Amino acid sequence: MTIEIIQALVHVASGVVRAASDDDGGGVLWLLAIGPAGGAATYWAIYRYYRNTDKSHEFERDTIIEAQPVQGGEDRVDHISRTRDSGIKGDNGGDYRKRVQRVR
Amino acid sequence: MTQDPVEPQQPTFDGPPLSLEEELAAARAEPEPGPSIETVNESLKDGLNRCPKCGSTDVRLRGSTGMLVCLFCRNEWQEARVEEEFGLGEGIDQLEGTVIASGAEDIAADAADQVTFKCEACGAEVVVDTAHALNARCHWCRHTLNVNQQIPNGAVPDAVLPFRLTKEEAVEKIRAFASKRRLFAHKRFKREFVPENVLGVYLPYLVIDARAETQYWGKGEVQTRRWTEKQGDKQVTYYAADVYQVQRQVAFTVDDLTVEASSERADFGTKNTNNIINTILPFDTKNAVKWNASYLVGFTSEKRDLNVEALTPVLEDQGLSIGRSQVRGSLGRFDRGVRWEQEKIEIGGSRWVSMYLPVWLYSYRQESNGLLHYIAVNARTGETMGSIPVSQPKLLLAAFTVGTFLEGIAGAILVASA
Ligand SMILES: [Zn+2]
Ligand SMILES: [Zn+2]
Repeated sequence: MTIEIIQALVHVASGVVRAASDDDGGGVLWLLAIGPAGGAATYWAIYRYYRNTDKSHEFERDTIIEAQPVQGGEDRVDHISRTRDSGIKGDNGGDYRKRVQRVR
Repeated sequence: MTQDPVEPQQPTFDGPPLSLEEELAAARAEPEPGPSIETVNESLKDGLNRCPKCGSTDVRLRGSTGMLVCLFCRNEWQEARVEEEFGLGEGIDQLEGTVIASGAEDIAADAADQVTFKCEACGAEVVVDTAHALNARCHWCRHTLNVNQQIPNGAVPDAVLPFRLTKEEAVEKIRAFASKRRLFAHKRFKREFVPENVLGVYLPYLVIDARAETQYWGKGEVQTRRWTEKQGDKQVTYYAADVYQVQRQVAFTVDDLTVEASSERADFGTKNTNNIINTILPFDTKNAVKWNASYLVGFTSEKRDLNVEALTPVLEDQGLSIGRSQVRGSLGRFDRGVRWEQEKIEIGGSRWVSMYLPVWLYSYRQESNGLLHYIAVNARTGETMGSIPVSQPKLLLAAFTVGTFLEGIAGAILVASA
């Protein structure tokens, strides 16, 4: 349990450092948000450790699967010349269980 | 990025096109019943289940060995593993259609749960309520009567994986799990927690071998440039990227995918704690043995109430997830990530076997909200998972304390930098 709290604290502390080094007006607000954010993080870390509501069997990994080589292709269809987003919107490449539109 | 999703690029060749008549006939045809695997244990006569050496019916499971033991002559034996008996591990890549083992056939909703046996030893009639147990003792001659025939109400599975962990071992696991979570546990739970109240339960599962092909379509982005601009007195980071239409496909086989076959357990909604029991999967299902109700003596069991048809969407769903995890490794060049938009699965063939899997279960009903909490132990691997009722006031106090502490640090930084 203590490990989870420490993890939550480390996470929050790194936020403190990042906010403090960001030397503009937003930094002060971020810094003041640390208390509530840290409190909420603590709450969820402990809650999860007790209730384990987020856990399930990882059948993608823990089942005997024999796959043939992956096939496919990609075509360049667009170019984004200027964006502040550091990643694609709606990234679900690693979110295997989130279903998208089914083609029949 | 409001552009319409690109039409999925279907595989170009899918065999010669069907004529209109052929298509209509195919649409009208009843779904073909797949070939079946007959798993009835013929060596067991109706009801009585005797020690092969001395003929006594006082037979139990010895947990430490997973063997049946005759309490009269101490003879130990084991039913054959279904893996070899019915060739379950083999030919998954050749599977066609839906192959259903006899114990996984549809549950007959109208069949009564009560089965009456005529005790072969003394002639008395003994009733077994198959909704809750698959064996009973003759109250006249103390013979144990077992439901060994695959009666039409679907109560008897194809195979059973015997308990291996003893009750004492399970109690230890449960105690250890809970004692790590004492600090914030509900006061009442702590007071009422008695790990010795654990029950050995066989829970019903369908174990599936399948051959599938999955296909995914979406967008992937590759960063081409990254720079910072000065805006007023702060630096802002910008990115440029190429956008790709991405398509991936992968064919795979899956061996012993295990899904809950009780509608109560299969519901993983947020209103219950069923995910706990799911979490202790997987089981070493390869070691499951042919059905023999003697394995159940001393344990309770739950009846399966979901059929292959009801669980086919679960198989498709899990297949799609498995495919997604398989193609993940091929997406490395898209350093800004991939967003899948469409997906498709075709199950080429599947084979379904109904199995009882052993779980040690501690349950606790939280009075304040009626939630049923479990601590479950996989009685083969010892994997333990649980849900402990938390004390909200204690949890809030901890959160508030940490929050106040951090706010103090924030204040100190502000004062120092002012
Ligand atoms: Zn014997
Ligand atoms: Zn009798």
